[in-house]
Amino acid sequence: MTFSAINRRAAIRVGGAGMLGMNMPKLLRAADQSGSIKPRAKSVIFLFQWGGPSQLDTFDMKPNAPEKVRSPYRPISTSAPGIQICELMPEMAKRMHHCSLIRTMTHTMNNHASAGYYALSGHKPPTDDQRLRDSLDLYPAYGSVVDHLAPNTNGMPTFVAYPHVIRDGSVVPAQHASFLGKRHDPLRFLEDPNDQSFKLPELSLPQGLSIDRLHRRREMQKLIDQQTKILEYSDRANGFDDYYQRAMSMLTSDRVRKAFDLSSEPEQVRDRYGRTTYGQSCLLARRLVEAGVKFTTVYFSASIGGRRVNEGGWDTHGFDNTRMYEIVNNYQLPITDQTLPTLLDDLEERGLLDETLVVWMGEFGRTPDINKNISRDHWPRCYTTLLAGGGVKGGYVYGTSDEHARMPAENPVKPEDLAATIFHLLGIDPLTEIYDRDHRPLVIGGDTIYDLFA
Amino acid sequence: MRTSLYSTTLIAAWFLISALPSLQATELDSQESHQEFTTDVMPVLSKAGCNLGTCHGNLNGKGGLKLSLRGQDPAFDYHALVRASRGRRISVASPERSLILMKAVGEVPHGGGLRLDRESEHYEILSDWLREGASGPSGTAATLVHLEVSPIEAIVADPQSQVQVRAVATFSDGTIRDVTDTACYELSNLNAEVAPNGLVTRKKHGETTLIVRYLQKQQPIPIAFIQSRPDFQWQAPAPANEIDTHVFAKLQRLRLNPSAPCDDSVFVRRAYLDAIGKAPTSAEAKAFVTSENPNKRTELVDQLLQRPEFADFWALKYADILRTEEKVLDTKGVEVFHGWIRENIASAKPIDQFVRELVTSSGSSFDNPPANYYRANRDPSTRGETTARLFLGTRLQCAKCHNHPFDRWTQEDYYQWASLFSQMKYEGSDAKRQDDLDKNEIPGDETVLITKNDEVKNPNTSQIAPPKFLGGSQLSEDQQQSRLTELAGWMTSPQNDLFVKSQANFIWYQFFGLGVVDPIDDFRLTNPASNPPLMQTLAKELVKSEFDLRSLVAFIMKSQTYQLASEPNETNAFDHTSYSHASVRRLPAEVILDMQSDVLGVPAEFLGQEKGIRAVQLPGVLSKQARRKGPNDGDRFLKTFGKPDRILACDCERSNETTLKQVLMLIGEGLNERIVSPSNRVTELATSDRSDNDVVEELYWSALSRPPTETEMAAATAMIAGHNEQASPDENGTSNNRLVALQDLAWALLNAKEFLFRR
Repeated sequence: MTFSAINRRAAIRVGGAGMLGMNMPKLLRAADQSGSIKPRAKSVIFLFQWGGPSQLDTFDMKPNAPEKVRSPYRPISTSAPGIQICELMPEMAKRMHHCSLIRTMTHTMNNHASAGYYALSGHKPPTDDQRLRDSLDLYPAYGSVVDHLAPNTNGMPTFVAYPHVIRDGSVVPAQHASFLGKRHDPLRFLEDPNDQSFKLPELSLPQGLSIDRLHRRREMQKLIDQQTKILEYSDRANGFDDYYQRAMSMLTSDRVRKAFDLSSEPEQVRDRYGRTTYGQSCLLARRLVEAGVKFTTVYFSASIGGRRVNEGGWDTHGFDNTRMYEIVNNYQLPITDQTLPTLLDDLEERGLLDETLVVWMGEFGRTPDINKNISRDHWPRCYTTLLAGGGVKGGYVYGTSDEHARMPAENPVKPEDLAATIFHLLGIDPLTEIYDRDHRPLVIGGDTIYDLFA
Repeated sequence: MRTSLYSTTLIAAWFLISALPSLQATELDSQESHQEFTTDVMPVLSKAGCNLGTCHGNLNGKGGLKLSLRGQDPAFDYHALVRASRGRRISVASPERSLILMKAVGEVPHGGGLRLDRESEHYEILSDWLREGASGPSGTAATLVHLEVSPIEAIVADPQSQVQVRAVATFSDGTIRDVTDTACYELSNLNAEVAPNGLVTRKKHGETTLIVRYLQKQQPIPIAFIQSRPDFQWQAPAPANEIDTHVFAKLQRLRLNPSAPCDDSVFVRRAYLDAIGKAPTSAEAKAFVTSENPNKRTELVDQLLQRPEFADFWALKYADILRTEEKVLDTKGVEVFHGWIRENIASAKPIDQFVRELVTSSGSSFDNPPANYYRANRDPSTRGETTARLFLGTRLQCAKCHNHPFDRWTQEDYYQWASLFSQMKYEGSDAKRQDDLDKNEIPGDETVLITKNDEVKNPNTSQIAPPKFLGGSQLSEDQQQSRLTELAGWMTSPQNDLFVKSQANFIWYQFFGLGVVDPIDDFRLTNPASNPPLMQTLAKELVKSEFDLRSLVAFIMKSQTYQLASEPNETNAFDHTSYSHASVRRLPAEVILDMQSDVLGVPAEFLGQEKGIRAVQLPGVLSKQARRKGPNDGDRFLKTFGKPDRILACDCERSNETTLKQVLMLIGEGLNERIVSPSNRVTELATSDRSDNDVVEELYWSALSRPPTETEMAAATAMIAGHNEQASPDENGTSNNRLVALQDLAWALLNAKEFLFRR
């Protein structure tokens, strides 16, 4: 690993001369290890761009590259000195002073399923294969690890994920708790937040069942449980009874239900986010953060997409005589440029941005060389991830890609390092071990990127 | 005691030897003072934790330095420390300036924190080694031949709370060293803590296993911390068979009394649920509880074993671990495979024969059902792992990438075992996938063909790994011609301890929720049986019965141990490992759903399955239809309550944990609809002319296998009366208020913990 010269100098200032191998990150790390890690972010909003957005047409433009490499769009300057992004995101450009870009995300998984799993879990899959099958020997989602290691104690769920289950043929692994156990699964729903009548069936009483009647049922259940004393001597039975308590309060109190009630948002706000599934999902994410949810995952789309201008993800190969630039400029980028800036503004206006980490990323980037369909194929070797708020620097770029954004030139970042960084920001030690079904101790993250910390 | 005496003397000798070099290093003959990399330096690195998975032993190393996991490859580690990075990690000229030492003592910032004390003997060993020139592993160095620990087990009674462990190593050159301070210690749970010098201190009463590791050898020490109970009076039912003898003997040693035998209504329910996966009907329960036949328990066990539901329920268990799942086996494959499993259980095929047929199967997976075993396990590694896990209780996964850190298996063993399963290929049909994008789907018939030339290579050496039985011999040229037949014979022999014990343990686990070896597929030296004579007895019984499932089940169910109450007494509440009381466990998904159906008289439905089929009888996981249209209420219930996907060959894939989502499902979705259905049993009872008391009693017996207590009866009848008074209009047009009250009662019964949990 290489560290930038600036950091080396800074480290020497802080640590004094003559300390071999010393640098800023390790100093920070040493400080962290003296005790528990101080959380810099209370919540994470993880916006997963399924299909794989092109780095060259979004946040890592290479205007001087040859025509067969560079984007047909031009870069524009942004609110962050020295950072340029694609001209199709003028609103985003005004918010780059809130954002850190990692332009050197890198791995070697070429298939959506394996790359998606890697991106969602921070663990390299055993094989690079579309058939990588969702099973309990694969790693859990970040949110499930958070629920396992630092669960909410405020009565709100720790981990909420919606409005899709992503798949490429088979369901992509790492969208649930896997070997950590079902109790750490996300509260997951597929209802569309953009629907007029959006609500969660789990949070609604069945038709004809009044709250009074539910209470009567519960009272009788308690009476029966008392007869056998089973709750007094069985932790398991007792633990299950706690869930009844929680369920009753979720169904009868307003807190959780209110968080999910998008209809209480002013029309104007809903319009600002965009009347799309993704837009309203991001609005919901802000409501959930406000209500105390720790990890919210929003999937951009259910499928990898790439063939239509009004649905699906970022997988624009130009297959079936489609063209990437018709789709990206009419669909993904406009949505992105409406929703993401709105989310950042909204969080900032409410004083939540400093404590909320927003992560925007796909499973890989796209080929520097434009293919014969005038589109781009999969490219995991070098792509860009955007972070904002939650203790990361604003207007900052970590890592430099080479002249075609083909390979990292300096400071490569693997998904496990990003995972470590996210955990670290939440105050969770990335060296923590979790145990799989074979009771193997497995470390949750790679190397934290301290340079990103504000 | 022999060892402790002898180790005291050893300590003295060791101090003499090790103290000298630092005093007069230059004057000593270099051979005398020599710090050998493999036997002196490696233990220090391990002891300091440098090569653990969280640190430099990680697959990717840490901070640019990678060591072999737990020091299993000294040559690799030597290279990493001395040669790699242009040798910048060491300095022979001034050892104390070596990066490895400066990091370890915190002189230079170290991600792993402080690992060594500069004043320690271990620091000295490393610096001496550096000063002497940092020599590498030498061919002449002595190797470790034996690690002896003492005590070999310990029971520590209050007021004592500590036990000092000692470790003595014997080397190939005859040297004997006390390595107590250098050995690594790990505990199997949090009941105690262990200091670096081998002093184990109680944190909680209970059992734990200490693993002592030194170089390549490991030894377990079971330790129990017990209360003193000076006035302890042993109290237990008379043993019914050898199970009780061994369980009670251990309990007595731990000064724990078993709980009292459970009462009849608990027993009848438990026996039905455990043996045949359903609760007794109200008539069956009443008949049993009121019977005065003194042998009624053993007779009930014998009757249950002959019921067809026994085959249904046990087929479910085997179908789980044999990966009976639609995407890979196709609907037809699932049907024939499940049918074959069930039929074998119904006809009492001996387990060893059943296993032999599985592992030697080939041909069309539709025409020859056991061939689905290899259809589901699709490459040599997976076949090897699955076979070892299911039939030898051995987890090999770790040894795929590095030598197993807690077991004796090397990577070489792993690939030699996989080699047994290398000569196979598949011939597909031209059937179309339902979803062409889903490459996991294998449609139509598929034929498993035995080939002759395919071999497995060990990725480390790129050499063909010659097939070898796990922990057994290499196959001769002749044997290699019929690998699977040879394997089947070797593996299922009554002399194959791991086979017999793992099969017996699997069966035992079904009744106690805890294997005598636990996890049940993790037999190894460092994970000893919680009660070795008990394990021996179960194995012996299985062999004696010629591998008859029902015989061992009967042996278990007729023991007093099985029939103990789940409620603990004042001595055994903290025991979770010695079977002093019955375990309370949430019932399997299928069983809960079927029980609801039985009480309500409304069968659950599953997409793409015949109407009226019980959840326990379902051959697979999720039908094609359910895959296409999305699962219905019944399918979803099973998934939510932990029915396994059957992608892993492991009982651990089934979950009996409890979640919020399950409760939300029991309150809302699905169950409520079934409870308020106009055509169910509740409606039938409510509208019958039977008295309120009578109807309440009937619901109790059918749901909980017992009559209501007086309190319950009073509350239930009051509920009915309350509804009659209210005649509330808010109940969605329901005019019959007795019905509304009984629906609420039914919900409460179906959500009672004694309904959802086996106890």
